[in-house]
Amino acid sequence: MIVKDVVCPFCGCLCDDIEVEVEENRVVAVANACELGTTKLMGEKRMKNPILRDGNTWKDISYDEAIEYAADMLLSAERPLLYGWSGTHGEAQCVGVHMAELVRGVIDNTSSVCHGPSILAIQEVGHPGCTLGVVKNRADLVIYWGSNPIDAHPRHLSRYTRYADGFFLENAFRDRKVIVVDIRRTETANIADEFVQIKPGGDYAVLSALRAIVRGKTETIPRTVAGVTREQLVRVVDLCKEAKFGAVYFGLGLTMTQGKYKNIRNAIELVSELNRHTKFTISAMRGHYNVYGSNEVNTWMTGYPFGIDFSRGIAFYNPGETTAVDVLARKECDAALIVGSDPAAHFPRRCLEHLADIPVVQLDPYPNATTAFCNVQIPVAVTGIDAEGTAYRMDGVPIRTRKVLSTDYPSDEEVLSRMYALMQEGRER
Amino acid sequence: MTYLMVTGRTVTQGVTVENKTSVDYAEETSTCFMHEFDMLELGLDDRNAILVTGPCGEVVMRAVASVEVEMGTVFVPYGPYANHIIDADTHSTGMPDFKSHEVEIEPTDKEPKTVHKLMEDLGGLAYDR
Repeated sequence: MIVKDVVCPFCGCLCDDIEVEVEENRVVAVANACELGTTKLMGEKRMKNPILRDGNTWKDISYDEAIEYAADMLLSAERPLLYGWSGTHGEAQCVGVHMAELVRGVIDNTSSVCHGPSILAIQEVGHPGCTLGVVKNRADLVIYWGSNPIDAHPRHLSRYTRYADGFFLENAFRDRKVIVVDIRRTETANIADEFVQIKPGGDYAVLSALRAIVRGKTETIPRTVAGVTREQLVRVVDLCKEAKFGAVYFGLGLTMTQGKYKNIRNAIELVSELNRHTKFTISAMRGHYNVYGSNEVNTWMTGYPFGIDFSRGIAFYNPGETTAVDVLARKECDAALIVGSDPAAHFPRRCLEHLADIPVVQLDPYPNATTAFCNVQIPVAVTGIDAEGTAYRMDGVPIRTRKVLSTDYPSDEEVLSRMYALMQEGRER
Repeated sequence: MTYLMVTGRTVTQGVTVENKTSVDYAEETSTCFMHEFDMLELGLDDRNAILVTGPCGEVVMRAVASVEVEMGTVFVPYGPYANHIIDADTHSTGMPDFKSHEVEIEPTDKEPKTVHKLMEDLGGLAYDR
């Protein structure tokens, strides 16, 4: 059986034109997806049943036992951390927020270690963004800054920019220019019309120089800025001003380097300057397929997009204090529920040393690095494969992911709802 | 010698990311991409083991020549190896310095550890069923 229009649950592109061939309840072939999506959709080696750490061995347990363990752990903790959420659907994220409020815990999602700084900048100066469809059909200039879509979002180029047709572009491939700004000469840099190679840590200075040139202050610019010649900076500004519609896409090359959210703020302000001359937008290249959704759900439920602390009985937000890396590094939380992410692979070691000291429950379909720190892991259905639910694309468009297989695995939402019901009962007693 | 360590996504890291106990994932995330002149200076051939020392400790990786990185900079795919030496300080932003760590690199006779071993060294228990 071939299932059409499947939504790929890997990256923030949420490609919705995938065809999946299913035989005997297994995915046997995938068409249209990139290598990342194909591998995920064909993924095997799932954990078979919930497991419990028993001293130095692992014991199989039932879903009922595992859910009860998790509910008890969260109820008895003084400062639980509920982290992850980007690798699951919005309906499960909603239950997570209710749980965090009930136990007065800290709830954070993976954006604190990806585009959290971008959100801080957007809170300061706003977000002149647009949907991917607008860029595909109108943009005659695209700038990738500190992002490498060929490796991280492989179909972004073919669906929306370099290799995509555009309704308002006669010959999109010829008429659409691509500029890549990076410290590395990546594969994406090789397909750019203009590659701007910056010295590490020089993004803020280069953005400031571009803003000065846009304002007509070219004479104030030194011969090179962070390794970029003045001539090239002027050429880039000319390309931007000559464009009818420009779009900047930035990645973790801006959020993870020195300056962090100040880099993004400067990039947004450059786009503001350019809007005095032509139409320009800027958007983040979101990583997990539903990391944008975790920000949306948290914001409409609590007022804040990530790093929310309910210990005061109300939602409190202070990135750097209420974000997962900081809470773990300060050895502050006394229990952790991990959903749809793998902090043991992606957090600094000091955080893992604390995870080893506290009870941890994880909901994940696969054994991963965090499994080693779990007291209990509960295998769940994979959203977009054997569970359906809402995810938000990197441009904020909600898309309903589809279910292509039927398995006995419960969805994240089912497991969390049962956990939450037990916790409500426990609180009433 | 001191280098700037930058971490990031690669296709191979992304393809193996849902299978973190695999050899392929360990191999990719323990690869340190370097400029060939830097490797020459350290007397390294492709896939030689190196000891990478950061502010929080040391980890063994393998050096691989890359035309993408400049001299003085090394690139390591996101994962448990780079994070083994990355500091948790976020400068009050929530975000550690994943792309701006200074590290020391030297040749070594040791082999890179498995992901399981790295996790066990920090107090975890490997699950390999």
